[in-house]
Amino acid sequence: MIIKKYTVQNKLGIHARPAGLLVKTSSRYKSSVYIANEGNEVNAKSIMGVLMLGAAYGSEIHIRVEGEDENQAIVALEELIMVRKFDEE
Amino acid sequence: MSEGNHTDAPKIRPYITVEELYLDNCERLSLNIINSNASFGRKIKEQELHRPGLALGGFVEVFTYWRVQIMGNTEIGYLNTLHGEERWQSIATVLGFDLPCIIVTNDNKLPDELVEIANQNAITIFSSPLSTTMVFHHLSEYLNRIFAPHIVVHGSLIDVYGVGMLITGPSAIGKSELTLDLIERGHQLVADDAVHITKISPYQLQGSPSNVLTHHMEIRGLGIIDIRRMFGIRGIRGSKNIDVVVNLDSWDDNREYERLGVDDKTTSYLGVDIPLVELPIFPGKNITVIAEVIAMNHQLKQHGENPAKEFNERLISTMQSKALKRQQSETKGGL
Repeated sequence: MIIKKYTVQNKLGIHARPAGLLVKTSSRYKSSVYIANEGNEVNAKSIMGVLMLGAAYGSEIHIRVEGEDENQAIVALEELIMVRKFDEE
Repeated sequence: MSEGNHTDAPKIRPYITVEELYLDNCERLSLNIINSNASFGRKIKEQELHRPGLALGGFVEVFTYWRVQIMGNTEIGYLNTLHGEERWQSIATVLGFDLPCIIVTNDNKLPDELVEIANQNAITIFSSPLSTTMVFHHLSEYLNRIFAPHIVVHGSLIDVYGVGMLITGPSAIGKSELTLDLIERGHQLVADDAVHITKISPYQLQGSPSNVLTHHMEIRGLGIIDIRRMFGIRGIRGSKNIDVVVNLDSWDDNREYERLGVDDKTTSYLGVDIPLVELPIFPGKNITVIAEVIAMNHQLKQHGENPAKEFNERLISTMQSKALKRQQSETKGGL
């Protein structure tokens, strides 16, 4: 199991489009992926769950990955969140 | 955006005969045939109409004689100001061209020379009690429909809550079964298997069944069924504008599907863009209910509501006020 902490970098927060990207990326892997914000943890493969978090700009999120391809999954998710900043900048 | 999956090139009807024009419009325009020697086989090849006023005046350099000629109060009034040889010459010049037919409006009384020369040249003259404007209006609409480009698309067209839904997808995916299910639930079949699509305006497509198939359907394992006889008149519809295309495809684990509905996808037929929903299906999935929801969602969008976009806008504003609060508390903390 891998748990990593990130700060949301894009100005609008994780709204529909970034949430869609997060769900798409997570769904490519067999591992279970969870995302947590302010004490709520949801399945990162569920769009409604991720939207419910309402993770705003500057807030802290935790990504938890568990499964056979967890290493590949966390690399892809980290790139999406930190490098690509959900393709919004 | 992709061009919808049809193989045939658009077809445009090359012509209609004067006889067809008469038969299709004699009631609506109350057409009377004036002359005894009329050639009903002449061809009409264009949707435009023409008023030969200037040609009667002698200016025939750009005379569009191949169009249906409409003579109103102006033309007849002008001819009435001419006399003897002059009037004969004016009419003979215009009717010397290969006109398809002439329609005289407002029940104008025709000069004898007009009927005489029309008989000599075998050009049909119709008379209508309607005004020139009304005749133009009716005939333009009629000819526009006749000469509109059309194609045949493999799919089913059904009216779901007033929304014209074209269901496409590969053979044996379940288009007919979905259609049948929708009819069962009170929606109306327009066409199954082969949908005739006509571009009735630059942004409107109309679908109708083929004359042979009408409202029959083939259900695998059962054969051909007659929807009209089985479900009655409430189960069918003659034609319907296409509002949304639903493309069915087998679920593919490696494909990513629409999850948000924030961006609108379209497909196009005959150069007209139509909203597209790509629907992955698998055994046991209730696509009938989804098809009904697609129709209702389309209606909402038509009424200026986009639930997915509005939801997202609300979410963004909530998150922005959260981010602002955090910033403020951090600044305070720093002091």
